[in-house]
Amino acid sequence: MTGVLEARDIVKTFAVTRDGKTSRVAAVNHVSLAVEPGEIVGLVGESGCGKTTISRIMIGIESADSGTVLYRGQPVVSRADWRALRREVQYVFQDPFTALCPTMRIGAALAEPLIIHRIGAPSERADRVAKMLEMVGLHPDVARRLPNQLSGGQRQRVNLARALMLEPRILICDEIVSGLDVSIQAQVLQLLIDLQEKLGLSLIFISHDLRVVRYLASRVLVMYGGEIVEQGASEAVFDDPQHAYTRTLLAAIPDHSRVPAPAHNLGA
Amino acid sequence: MARQNVLSVENVSVSFPGNSGDLIVVDDVSFTLAAGESLVIAGESGSGKSMICQSLLGILPPQAKVSGTRIDWLGRDLLQAGDKDWRTIRGAEIAMIFQDPTAALNPLITVEHQIGDAIRDHRKCSRAEARARTIEVLGMAGFPEPEHRMKSYPSELSGGLRQRVAIALALSCGPKLIIADEATTNLDVSIQAQIVTLLKKLQQDLGLALIFVTHDLGLAAQVGDNLLVMYAGHAVEQGGVRQVLDDPCHPYTRGLLRSAPTLQSSRANPLRPIPGQAPKPGSIGKGSPFRSRCPVVVDGVCEVMRAPWTNVAPGHDVACHRFARDGREGVQ
Repeated sequence: MTGVLEARDIVKTFAVTRDGKTSRVAAVNHVSLAVEPGEIVGLVGESGCGKTTISRIMIGIESADSGTVLYRGQPVVSRADWRALRREVQYVFQDPFTALCPTMRIGAALAEPLIIHRIGAPSERADRVAKMLEMVGLHPDVARRLPNQLSGGQRQRVNLARALMLEPRILICDEIVSGLDVSIQAQVLQLLIDLQEKLGLSLIFISHDLRVVRYLASRVLVMYGGEIVEQGASEAVFDDPQHAYTRTLLAAIPDHSRVPAPAHNLGA
Repeated sequence: MARQNVLSVENVSVSFPGNSGDLIVVDDVSFTLAAGESLVIAGESGSGKSMICQSLLGILPPQAKVSGTRIDWLGRDLLQAGDKDWRTIRGAEIAMIFQDPTAALNPLITVEHQIGDAIRDHRKCSRAEARARTIEVLGMAGFPEPEHRMKSYPSELSGGLRQRVAIALALSCGPKLIIADEATTNLDVSIQAQIVTLLKKLQQDLGLALIFVTHDLGLAAQVGDNLLVMYAGHAVEQGGVRQVLDDPCHPYTRGLLRSAPTLQSSRANPLRPIPGQAPKPGSIGKGSPFRSRCPVVVDGVCEVMRAPWTNVAPGHDVACHRFARDGREGVQ
């Protein structure tokens, strides 16, 4: 398995103390995953299955106990390697409320990645911020606002815009639509698809909502108890799940389309 | 239809005092609910669905104003209820399950005492009787080994178990109506499925009326007999759950269904988001609440007046000018 970004045989354990005894629990147990250029990979599973942990390891927020992260086929080891990786791989956090500094204007928040990575002349930065805001469907005036003046959907777009400022190759999106209303969620999903098509972006899309993953991802990995229990093309996994856990997960999805409806009423 | 209505909400509005006049967050909403029946109130944030529920329990913030013709609860008008009345209704006759069980439970009190205290608040009974009832309701809520585990504190339980405790607490005084406000939203899907199944079972076994508030139309399809779709404080469509989901007639309901991915959706058949955002309370004025995002606005009508209810099919009504004028073809 090769890809632009790859995790190979990752193990991560956390110490857990219960009744005075400390033991180690494997949050991620020998997991390998890779994302190809321009591909959207869905990572699904319930709370505590390790999906967030593995994604955090892939961008170096968390370190693995063993295993390797490879970027463009090269192991990422030194600080310089990680720094280079973080320029091209961006992470979009779940909670748009805590991911933005409350006292920093949106424009400053979006320009910050450019400053950190010393990209572009300071004079061009405002311009790039305005362009990016437009790209994610926000008015350039938003740059002057503070996060608390924006709705949840707008904040999530700002988060996406900030992640896109460095023109990354890969986005890791951790439950970024789960807190949004359905109509706003659909707007953000459309935006992600547009970005993938326009910029050839790869996405690792983490979600517990299988309906969203089915819609967005071409390939899906199902995690359970720190391990990948099933993976494959979305249609294959969703239409013909092999693993018992995947079947349970699918059966639990509330779906208004599951009860067959008269055809003339659906769609347009 | 033959069943007796336990609850009848007639033209109820909720408003908050604002800097420039009252902000109306629920505008003229009516519905009825019979014993043993379930109603799903579906809508997005700010649609006023939680506000309605809170008005049924008298737990709105103190500055909120509730007005309307009547909220009939078993022959009593909840709009006229005073503190004393609420004390006999809240918890005992109408109980609520909240979204966040962690916030709904007292972290310093064991499960046993939390439920036991609620029972002894409403009924004259001994501690032993309260304890027996606690074990009984925990059992009904599917809480494993209640005799043993009810000595736990909420922090020692998982989210799913905490929600079961909250359900047991709601059941403890034998209510006739349970309101579940996004009660499964924070749970994992498989736990959510268990909790929904449990609520349905309790509703049937105990003949409870159930109001289930959700933003998830998939859940609505599983839980409800009837569905009330709300948008920006207004009821826009109501009817049987399958009636509304199979034959959505309000442009908002249709937009919501097209925005929500299902297990059948794929990019070959793309979602169609509703453009724009929901209006802020106070900015709606006299017209249709959905007009700013509606693809089929009737010019000169939707801006100036509220849509009347139009009957689509027996038990299925929609409030839309376009539908009233052009029928189903008009909202396609």
